[in-house]
Amino acid sequence: MDTRAKPAYDVPCILAPLALIPHPAEPPMQTLHVNGYDMAYLDIGHGPPLVCVHGSLCDFRIWSPVLGPLTRKHRVIAVSLRHFFPEHWDGHDGSYSIAQHTADMIDFIEKLDAGPVDLMGHSRGGHVSFRVAQRRPELLRKLILAEPGGELDPTLDPGAKPGAPSPLAARFAASAEKIAAGDVDGGLKFFMEALEGPGTWARLPATPKQLLRDNAYTLIGQVRDNRPPFSRADAEAIENPTLFIGGANTKGMLPQVLHTLAKHVKGSQIAMIPGATHPMFEQAPQKYCEIVLEFLAG
Amino acid sequence: MQTLHVNGYDIAYLEVGAGQPLVCVHGTLGDFRTWSAVLGPLSRQHRVISLSLRRFFPEHWDGVGDDYLMAQHVSDVIGFIEKLGSGQVDLMGHSRGGHLAFRVACQRPELLRKLILAEPGGELDSSLDPAVAPSPSQRAAGIAVSAEKVKNGDIDGGLKVFFDGIEGDGAWARLPAAAKQQLRDNAFTLIGQVGENRHPYRRTDAESIRTPTLFIGGAETRGALAAVHGALAPYVPFAKTAMIPGGGHWMFEQAPQEFCKVVLDFLAG
Repeated sequence: MDTRAKPAYDVPCILAPLALIPHPAEPPMQTLHVNGYDMAYLDIGHGPPLVCVHGSLCDFRIWSPVLGPLTRKHRVIAVSLRHFFPEHWDGHDGSYSIAQHTADMIDFIEKLDAGPVDLMGHSRGGHVSFRVAQRRPELLRKLILAEPGGELDPTLDPGAKPGAPSPLAARFAASAEKIAAGDVDGGLKFFMEALEGPGTWARLPATPKQLLRDNAYTLIGQVRDNRPPFSRADAEAIENPTLFIGGANTKGMLPQVLHTLAKHVKGSQIAMIPGATHPMFEQAPQKYCEIVLEFLAG
Repeated sequence: MQTLHVNGYDIAYLEVGAGQPLVCVHGTLGDFRTWSAVLGPLSRQHRVISLSLRRFFPEHWDGVGDDYLMAQHVSDVIGFIEKLGSGQVDLMGHSRGGHLAFRVACQRPELLRKLILAEPGGELDSSLDPAVAPSPSQRAAGIAVSAEKVKNGDIDGGLKVFFDGIEGDGAWARLPAAAKQQLRDNAFTLIGQVGENRHPYRRTDAESIRTPTLFIGGAETRGALAAVHGALAPYVPFAKTAMIPGGGHWMFEQAPQEFCKVVLDFLAG
């Protein structure tokens, strides 16, 4: 092979001023223009389309450990929701809410124009996916909810006090305040420990820490998330075949929400991954993929 | 994914950010995801383009074929930069990808603005290391053992031999599950790597580099990778060296903030 073939463009002089080098005007990554916003996504593999929605503080990269096994059977589309990386958002202008992200996902699936898709969401992304299924079941084939986030209203949890702010919400607000004041790591530490207990942030390896930092400013938006609690009627309205996946060792509200919703979503299945907690697909990617692939094939 | 058609193959790449283009080349068992930990800080100032070399994920390769060669990958990266059509790029390579980037700089300096070599892989010839052992090197022998295990279906066993050979005994067992899985996704490339035909570095190769070059190492890296890095840098005319405290061979995952600071300072300087 000739590795010294002439390049296809005029090679600029080595000392050419950088300002003269053209940069392409199109947005980076693949994007779909959705409700006035360019939503970035990663699109890998062939087969029935599986759209993946990340949770709080994450982005399309969170699905990295499961892309290999899943793309052997599916076209996997991992989105970044509005204002998450690759955008470098400051947390202020623009719309950040469950309603906005749900509307964006509906428009995204329509613009994708690949027919009904399988939809998988983790944590807050599970909440968004649930709302998509509730509103537009005809856009979906199957639904996978990996520890969906949210609260239960009194029809699902008789002890719930409607209108009372959840204890987590107050801690999230405190995290957002720290981040807004420039203490990004302090805010993230506070947030992670509210979810998974003391010492969580310190134990986290450097790479996942950095991915959270890249999305830290979305916590400022999340204070105005305006997430409505799940109701029994919401759960009973889900028509798509649904799989709930959880980590067997996750503590707190998340497993309670999962099991309560599953009881009321018709024909839903539950799979709990032994030894895993909330980021279960990072902790046990092989087991997670096996469960997901079996559900999607069934 | 986005792809560019280069030498008859669709090279997949991830592109984020705007600014001076920075092309990133992963090492053995890596792919475009290798750079995830540094995409945030780097894409604030650069258009970051992270490619997957021929036969790496997102392809699911079975190890059969004769085009997994160092020379092929060098030619592919050259073709990729040309097809990108963005003028001179900054080029950053890790490990085997650093070897590749070094060869691109030797062959086609006019394509590059700056060069970053993060613990480039390879052997030294006698002009750089008078005490050089006769081939095959320990590293090449380790790759062959790993590849044989992978070929026989023992993927995790093969990866353990490879990984512990670089980071020390027990390193594979300590690796988080997510990182393990991304290595598994590329395990069959080890079969190709046995016959990749990588040449040792010569002093004249190092002296021929005309591109401003930064060598980055992990201060904790031991063995051949640390030696290569230390032997090349003195002979590359416009070279700087930065060591990342606490980092090993995957220093940009172990210390992403420190790594990005060093890289951004170098690219801005």
